[in-house]
Amino acid sequence: MNEKLHPFHIMILIYMNQTGVVIMSLPHLLAENFGYNGWLGVILISLVVNLNIFIISIVYRLGKGKSIFQIMESSLPRVITFPIYMILIGVWSMTGCMVIKNYVYIYQIMSYNTTHAMLLKLLIDIIAYLLIIKGIYTISKAATSFFWITSWMLLLQLFFIKDFEWARLTPFLFKGDTHFLTGGFIVFTAFLGYELCFMLFPYADNPKKFIKSVYKGNLITTLTYLIFCLICFGFYSFEQIRNMMYPLLDLLSYIRLPFIERIENLLFGFFLFTTIVSVVLYSWSAQETFARIVPKANKKVLAFIILTFGYIVAWFPDTLSEVGQWLQYLGYAELGVAFGLPLLLILILVIHKGAKPS
Amino acid sequence: MRTMPKAAALLLVIVIIAGCGDQRILEKQGFIQSTGYDLNGTKNDEKDNRLMITVDIPKSDPEQRMQRETLTAIAHSSKEAKILFAGQTELSLVSGQLRSTLFGVSLAKTGIWKHIDTLVRDPSISQRVKIVVVNGRAHDLLVRDYPQHPRAGQYIDRMLEKESALMSFPLVTIYDFSRDYFDDGIEPIAPIIRENKKNISFDGIALFKKDRYITKIESKQSLIFSMMKQNFKKGEISMKLGDGSKKQEYLLFSSVISNRNVKVKRSTKGNFNIQINIVVKGSVLEYSGSHELSKDYDRKKIEKRMAEYIENEAAALMATMQKHNVDSLGIGRNVRNSLSYEEWNKLDWNKEYPDADIRISARIVIKDFGKFK
Amino acid sequence: MTNTEKNIPKEDGPAKKKVAPSLALTLKEFKDCADLIYRSLPDLALEMVFFDHLTGSEEFTREIAIPFGSAEEQDVPQLLERSQFTEITDSDALIKKILNGSVALFFHEKCYAIHVYKPESRTIQESESEVVITGPHDSFVETATLNLSLIRRRVKSSRLKVIKCEVGEITKTDVYILYIDGLANMEYVQEFIKRVELIELDAIHDANMLVQCIDDDPNSIFPQFPTTERTDAAVSKLVAGRIVAIVDGSPSVISAPASFFEFFSSPDDYYQRWALGTATRLLRFAAFIVTITFTALYVSVTTFHYEMVPEDLLLTLTESRSRVPFPPIYEALLLEVTIELLREAGARLPTKIGQTIGIVGGIVIGQAAVQAGLTSNILIIAVASSAIASFVIPSYMMSASIRLARFGLIILAGLLGNFGLMLGLALMVIHLSGLTSLKSSYLTPIAPIHLKDWRDTFIRAPFWMLKERPSQSKTSNKVKNKMRQ
Repeated sequence: MNEKLHPFHIMILIYMNQTGVVIMSLPHLLAENFGYNGWLGVILISLVVNLNIFIISIVYRLGKGKSIFQIMESSLPRVITFPIYMILIGVWSMTGCMVIKNYVYIYQIMSYNTTHAMLLKLLIDIIAYLLIIKGIYTISKAATSFFWITSWMLLLQLFFIKDFEWARLTPFLFKGDTHFLTGGFIVFTAFLGYELCFMLFPYADNPKKFIKSVYKGNLITTLTYLIFCLICFGFYSFEQIRNMMYPLLDLLSYIRLPFIERIENLLFGFFLFTTIVSVVLYSWSAQETFARIVPKANKKVLAFIILTFGYIVAWFPDTLSEVGQWLQYLGYAELGVAFGLPLLLILILVIHKGAKPS
Repeated sequence: MRTMPKAAALLLVIVIIAGCGDQRILEKQGFIQSTGYDLNGTKNDEKDNRLMITVDIPKSDPEQRMQRETLTAIAHSSKEAKILFAGQTELSLVSGQLRSTLFGVSLAKTGIWKHIDTLVRDPSISQRVKIVVVNGRAHDLLVRDYPQHPRAGQYIDRMLEKESALMSFPLVTIYDFSRDYFDDGIEPIAPIIRENKKNISFDGIALFKKDRYITKIESKQSLIFSMMKQNFKKGEISMKLGDGSKKQEYLLFSSVISNRNVKVKRSTKGNFNIQINIVVKGSVLEYSGSHELSKDYDRKKIEKRMAEYIENEAAALMATMQKHNVDSLGIGRNVRNSLSYEEWNKLDWNKEYPDADIRISARIVIKDFGKFK
Repeated sequence: MTNTEKNIPKEDGPAKKKVAPSLALTLKEFKDCADLIYRSLPDLALEMVFFDHLTGSEEFTREIAIPFGSAEEQDVPQLLERSQFTEITDSDALIKKILNGSVALFFHEKCYAIHVYKPESRTIQESESEVVITGPHDSFVETATLNLSLIRRRVKSSRLKVIKCEVGEITKTDVYILYIDGLANMEYVQEFIKRVELIELDAIHDANMLVQCIDDDPNSIFPQFPTTERTDAAVSKLVAGRIVAIVDGSPSVISAPASFFEFFSSPDDYYQRWALGTATRLLRFAAFIVTITFTALYVSVTTFHYEMVPEDLLLTLTESRSRVPFPPIYEALLLEVTIELLREAGARLPTKIGQTIGIVGGIVIGQAAVQAGLTSNILIIAVASSAIASFVIPSYMMSASIRLARFGLIILAGLLGNFGLMLGLALMVIHLSGLTSLKSSYLTPIAPIHLKDWRDTFIRAPFWMLKERPSQSKTSNKVKNKMRQ
């Protein structure tokens, strides 16, 4: 793997990893937890994400671009690193598979209601496997292609200008029945995915621009979320959003073109691309971690084991709400990883006075 | 690289296993295009809470001469009726192509949210399904054939789309209705249609309080209602201008561009003073009066009288709405947006609304008066 | 990729003993070669062996007949001193020379060869597979030397370098690798030469065959190097810093490295006003999308997603579908296969009969199939428009690959609807992302991103904006109009 990732591709990777089907229910979550004008909550959460990226950037600077595994292994005994790695593998591989299952279940609300969900999931798994085994450079290339294929969807917002009314937004800010803390956590999980940038340390092409591109990736995510949520809040009435499970899905179904209508089905299909990138990145990270435990193993086999493990775990939750629950808990775990791991690394680096020359 | 062909083959195998399950092949579906809901019993028969549900299904089978099929069932809910219908037709009924739902006025009076809720919940149903109230029974209107017009479902659908573009009817979809239903500062509306001997005609605008039909606005006032409710850019209004003494003058005002704004003031006592300003621009193409349109002085006079006409009509409408306590214009939203959250929460807009001081002022601009002096 | 590991060059074994050439040995070697000409000039003590169909009669007259015709025996050694005659000391080398169109002269014990190669060749004509409206109409022919001259005539530069390789164990086909020194990246040139030299095949008949032997991923359905018959196209690739390879016996030349999007550009784009060129290019990309998705979308909508049909189309669509006894996927595959049959039949038959096929096919598909209730007429529109769209793509190889990929998408769409369609597209994008062309990314300039290149990929910007050579060629001279000294 001698090819390095251009900052632009890192930005796209971060963005594509962050966005996913969560965006479908995001306006609902915001309305439920942040009250009136909850769409502005996106900015608050994004600021926290930026803080976290800042912490990660300290690791990057102190570690001088060394991979997190090198940093950990240079000072921690194997007894400690092993369980950490196992936790990481578990969280990442399960997150990856739950994201797929969530996607499939939401799709099944619309179509293929009686097809076995795990069969559909298996299909996505195969596609994801094909991408994982090609390595991070190809993943980033595929992510960029997927980005261009899906980016035009932002233009769909133009359809809603006619029915958008500022009056529906109300002047109330974060009023009503609010749950800032629990809601904040829930909404935060929609932003997860940026933390995997610490897996990309060794692949950065331009060390100066690396962290900047992570910020940029998060910025694009924030803007996308902000625009979609703003449209939702001005298009639907507040109480209505609180009652809708997937406001964005309904929003998409409102689009009508002269030759085709009800394209939410097709558009949701496009979200498969962002989903695949998320899954692939999580599974790839798990695979890289796994490779640290068994360095001699073939990476293809490791990827296979990780996806199979995820697939088996994905049998357990049986309903959409259970999958949501699982994702929630995994999100909390991931949150812990996102903040905990960099802090641990900083601790190590500070104690050892920066990275030792390797 | 050799994993690719293997994986592709595996993919295909799984697709074949997974596929074919949830197919809905186009020509085997019976597309419900319109649904009618009526109360089954008469008004006196309060015990019978069953509904009469009618569906209109277009058919395109070239071997059959019938262009459509209508099915009727008496059931407790639309889903139950769907099961009953299934036993009556060779097609599998699907509601993904539903275009309009018709509610009989007697049912509308008892509340229709229950039915709309199932429509909103069902992902196969479009958010653009139109909601229409029928002055009479939806069933009768749907099953009839109108020899000079397309089949009933399409007839209603096309008429609504055309007229709503000209602002003479409101076009109310499930999306609009449920949005206003949930909004705390506005009440939903819907168009009312009526069955005539030969055709179907527009009968006014139904005003709802939450999901209950309360009263209606006559069709000739619907454009005035639209002016009070929103900005729009199309439409035609005919006015009868008279100043009591002289003979009446008729005027057709077309290519109307109407803008409105609402100003909310709260007096120290806590009463609301609400001012609705309407500015209408357009061209006069028909005028039967004695003034000369080409003269600035006369034209100003006509403009003033037109404004008076609109103000009077609007004030009458406003009075009706306040009397029935339906805030169909969404004034509550303007009030809400002028208050803080706590104030709005304390305020019971329902109680304030009938007594609120709502004034309407109109300004008319005649942009041109045709190509003849 | 696999070529490099798989094919270990075969050594020629321990160096063969050189055998001095002699007439008897040569004739023995060419035993039973009825087309070999043997001439003896006893008065000059000179004997000649050659293939007269490989040598040009004009050259033969000029170089041999005239000088020797008026010479005496004592003049011969002096004549043979002339630089065009080379003395050969190895019998094998002599045979090779003869096969390459030299005349072998035996004078006493010595042996000489003179190169008078002038094979019969097709005249330079317009390319039939790559037609342009405006622009040069000459195209390559089967003779490599003639092709070389066509290129040299257009690139009058000493920096145009030509490397000659030989491919094919039996055919010994000449392959000329061309590049412009200072523009082409030498790593690519080395890699290309290495791959050509590693080919282990007994025969190479065409450039399109050679291409498959040097592909990065031989299993892919997409071509990784474009081939062209057009001289101007080949020269434009050279000037862009790419490598061009000419294969003897083939009217197509190869260029490398290439990106997926390069297959969508045609030389005409540059001969039209830039706005027109841009519009045409965008049209081609639209055609690409139409080709791969149109029929699949029809199948998906009619099989799974009836709600996507707008009201006005619903009844006509249902009506035409209701006569058809099979599910949409069979219907679509039937029609697609028929169109492919027609295309293939049209390509095989001579032009005059080919027209009949067109008419018969048109009637069968356009009319009878609908009336017999085998297909719906809306599908015919979908299939026909996607077939037409596929022919808009300038590269025949690419258009064929895309048509093949389309079948996969139709099947996926027929079995899983829009989800299947998206799955197929995802698979395609992943596959394309993994592809490389001479180890450079196949999806440049999208991934890795080079926004400047977009001006000459998706659109055809005015020339003043196209100041840089494509990033994929990794040239050391990025800026055009300049050659580093």
